Amino acid sequence: MRNDPGLAARCGAGSPAPQRRRRRPRPAALALAAALLAGSAAQAADRIAPAGDVPLMREEAQAAGLNSVYDGPWEFFVGGGGAALDCDGSGFPSVFLAGGKNPAKLYVNVSKSGGPLKFVEKPIDVDPKLLTGVIGAYPIDIDGDGRMDLFVLRVGRNLMLKGGPDCTFALADKEWSFEGDPGWTTSFAAEWEPGQKFPTLAIGHYVDRDAPGSPWGTCEENALYRPQPGDKPDYSVRTPLAPGFCALSMLFTDWNRSGVPSLRISNDRQYYRGGEEQLWRVEPGKPPRPYGRADGWRHLTIFGMGIAEADIDGSGFPQYFLTSMGDEKLQKLDTEEAGRGELPVYRDIAGEVGATAHIPYTGGDKRPSTAWHAEFADFTNVGLLDIFVSKGNLSQMPDFAAYDPSNLLIGQWSGKFAEAGDLAGVSGNRTGRGALVADFNLDGKLDILQIDRGANVALFRNLGDRNGDGPPLPSGNWSEIRLVQPNPNRDAVGAKISVKTGVRTQTRTIQVGGGDASGHMGWLHVGLGTAERAEIRVQWPDGEWSPTYRVFANQFVVVDRTKPQASYWYPSR
Amino acid sequence: MKRALGVLAAARAVAFLVAVGPAAAGSWDERVFPPGAHVDFAAAAAAGPAALPALVERGRDLFKAKFTTLDGAGRPKATQAIIPTRRKSGVNPPFTRTSGPDSNSCFGCHNDPVVGGSGDVVANVFVSEGFESAQFDTIDPSFSSERHTIALTGAGLVELLAREMTADLQAIRAGAVGEACRSGKDVRADLVSKGVRFGWIVAHPDGIVDLDSVDGVDADLVVRPFSRKGVFTSLRQFTINALNVHHGMEASERFGVRWTGTHDFSESGVPDAITPGDVSALVAFQATLPPPTVRANLPDDWRAAAEAGAKRFDAIGCPSCHVKTLPLKSMVFTDPAPYDMAGTLRPGEVGAPIVVDLSTLPFAKTLQKNDKGEWLIPLMSDLKRHLVVDEQVNALGNELQAQRFVERDVFLTPRLWGVGSTAPYGHNGSFRMLDEIIAAHGGDARFARDQYLALEPGERDAVVAYLRSLVIEAP
Repeated sequence: MRNDPGLAARCGAGSPAPQRRRRRPRPAALALAAALLAGSAAQAADRIAPAGDVPLMREEAQAAGLNSVYDGPWEFFVGGGGAALDCDGSGFPSVFLAGGKNPAKLYVNVSKSGGPLKFVEKPIDVDPKLLTGVIGAYPIDIDGDGRMDLFVLRVGRNLMLKGGPDCTFALADKEWSFEGDPGWTTSFAAEWEPGQKFPTLAIGHYVDRDAPGSPWGTCEENALYRPQPGDKPDYSVRTPLAPGFCALSMLFTDWNRSGVPSLRISNDRQYYRGGEEQLWRVEPGKPPRPYGRADGWRHLTIFGMGIAEADIDGSGFPQYFLTSMGDEKLQKLDTEEAGRGELPVYRDIAGEVGATAHIPYTGGDKRPSTAWHAEFADFTNVGLLDIFVSKGNLSQMPDFAAYDPSNLLIGQWSGKFAEAGDLAGVSGNRTGRGALVADFNLDGKLDILQIDRGANVALFRNLGDRNGDGPPLPSGNWSEIRLVQPNPNRDAVGAKISVKTGVRTQTRTIQVGGGDASGHMGWLHVGLGTAERAEIRVQWPDGEWSPTYRVFANQFVVVDRTKPQASYWYPSR
Repeated sequence: MKRALGVLAAARAVAFLVAVGPAAAGSWDERVFPPGAHVDFAAAAAAGPAALPALVERGRDLFKAKFTTLDGAGRPKATQAIIPTRRKSGVNPPFTRTSGPDSNSCFGCHNDPVVGGSGDVVANVFVSEGFESAQFDTIDPSFSSERHTIALTGAGLVELLAREMTADLQAIRAGAVGEACRSGKDVRADLVSKGVRFGWIVAHPDGIVDLDSVDGVDADLVVRPFSRKGVFTSLRQFTINALNVHHGMEASERFGVRWTGTHDFSESGVPDAITPGDVSALVAFQATLPPPTVRANLPDDWRAAAEAGAKRFDAIGCPSCHVKTLPLKSMVFTDPAPYDMAGTLRPGEVGAPIVVDLSTLPFAKTLQKNDKGEWLIPLMSDLKRHLVVDEQVNALGNELQAQRFVERDVFLTPRLWGVGSTAPYGHNGSFRMLDEIIAAHGGDARFARDQYLALEPGERDAVVAYLRSLVIEAP
């Protein structure tokens, strides 16, 4: 590892005073900080109390048997992700956790349905050297054999781990003609393009540490790997995505409902020159091309760290939560200028809806926040999406909050969000990075595994809804859905799921990518509120709509494209 | 009013009424809920069996009560939908015979021949899926389905039977899933409870359960014994739905702040118009209603005909659906119910349930037991849904809408206890005579209907004599 003074300046590897001095010449950051400081009192005053329920989350990583620390020098100030996946066919999500300088670990989920969380570490049969330097991971069934594989992001060569039975994994780089796309990999996304047997992979890099003048202005280019013809995955051909602007998160997204996803990349403005947030056209058979001014794409620079997507207003067009340092965005297609998706013009509605999350909401530290992973999810099963944002100072960075609690912004029926991280119990003094939002004990309620830098992971078990000092209340009704279709793309990545209850329709999309170097595959969770029944329709990745499946609440539903009826699934333990 | 005040005084004695409301009431107060008249669930549960008579009395009062604007009646800005749903525009008129509110009190329909009984066809109501076409203003079957009032007598026993059947079916499913997982092979399991067959499931080793052959019960294997279609799990769920649909009275456990973000979803001006305790009082009243009986003082000719008719009823196969008795293991009725979902109070939402031991009530003495010590509940239903229409016999297939996933021509087997007191017949009360409704049975009931029609006129008349002897006794 090199000791890069530039990164150290940003990341606070040295003493606090020099870092502060180094940041002073940066007027934009200073102005931002000043503005935020001025607004902090107002923010506290503006904080609205959640009108409805707040989940009660109890941290129990140690009790659950998780002991994994993401740590290391400046390369590992970023990243800190993991993957949640069903690797043993149990239906329960196990976890692969990045360790940075420490070895990555695999924990098999041995929890019982509705019971306390329990994991058992399982050795990974891969050269131990390759399990260090891991930044994060995403689960994806690359070869379509019905077992989840892992794409592992590293400082150095990336890994493709082919999933085997009983949570075994084997290095498959050579078998799948993947040379690792070495570098400082900080983001990943995948999609299935029409006619392809295997997924198209996007790999995002951070700083090119070997470039002259590094780290400033030396963001590495990113890469797109399209599978080559053949009966097994072949990723021998690399297509550069240049310029790269230090991509900390990327996501294939059908932003305009065209049926052809584009690649959204969130970039860290700290190191790029002339950079911005990016959106790439990735059209089948054509070279990728970035959206530019002529296409309507607006210049936006943030310390982009994580992308989350959801259709929170039922408009049919996704909104995007972009994490940053003090200036999180919640972007909505600007229908005045963007029409019905003709142009990718967005406006920030974070302030309008109370989802700014730019400074700590509790603890008294009013310096700007450092936000990493973001994810939309319904933690109370009321039928509204909440936003979880993991937060944590980069590393003693003095201009930014030291006590920087993660956010749990609870969706309100008014369309706004109300902060409840402290009420829920996720506001501890941690150094959050990536996160995995999944139902780890299959009780219908979403839990959170937050990967912290320099400390053990935090595992927040969702106990139900807060009830004063009393025992938690059972939350709302729910549905957890899994799609299956014949290969290629058996897990239907890119499919949109519409869940209708009464006059409301909630939409979810199956995606691989986004967040902070973290992803999960498996049950897709939808809160149903008081609805006892729901109607599900699926728009499969090829655009075809399914019939309507009628399902009852509080069931695990398997929608198999080849079958006329949905099936229910039940845990066997 | 004197009676109501007397009951209130009794209720206060067990201290489960709570003070809610802006101002003290005069003795002429029109409100159902003057200050202090709401029931506190926790207090009622804590008060135990001693408080049950007062709780039931309060339930009877609420069942007969004519809810007023000041009580929160009318749901001006909300629809009748079972999921809290706002009107797209405008304000509900005070009453609407189609989409409701269509009644001032429960008793307005459930009044024949007792409080909690059935009703004349004039009291029919109209149901729809209630979402996209919530404010329908026509009785065209494209928009709504007409429903005759079902008697609630014996409803506590019915719910207990359904709970035990649900437990049986779900245990069968869990066993099959476990066995499939252990054996690595597909496991077929017949869904049978209390002798009633609900088809079968196939559990696969990967945990997936094929539901294609489930018959007459919902895919989640919850036996829902209430409504013509069998779509309500519990008296509690039924009560909450009915309060909203028919009276515009919104229970906080469905329409309150937990699920809607507001205490006054319908903008009636009255927050939390119905408390969980109020619902429990109504549930306690309904659950303790005595079941129908056999008319005691039959004339000799009727008795003889009824005896012959009962045999004929059995011989032609009617009990294949109208099972004469179902065995019940426990008569302990707990509120909240075990299989309700969010939006209807659940056991996890209360410290302790209200417990009503139905075996302590006078009507329990009239029930027989089998050799296992189980109570034999003579409801004359299998609590299962059946197709009652075929190509030739389709008078009951007069609807165009499915209701909560139940197809238009499929209905829960009506309970025939008390059928002698609940004319007219059929889901919409369009059959004046028992002979007519029997002749209208198609589908799964076609064979029995055909045998009935093949009987000599006197034999058919005997079947009618038997059915007419099954009555709801009025005081």
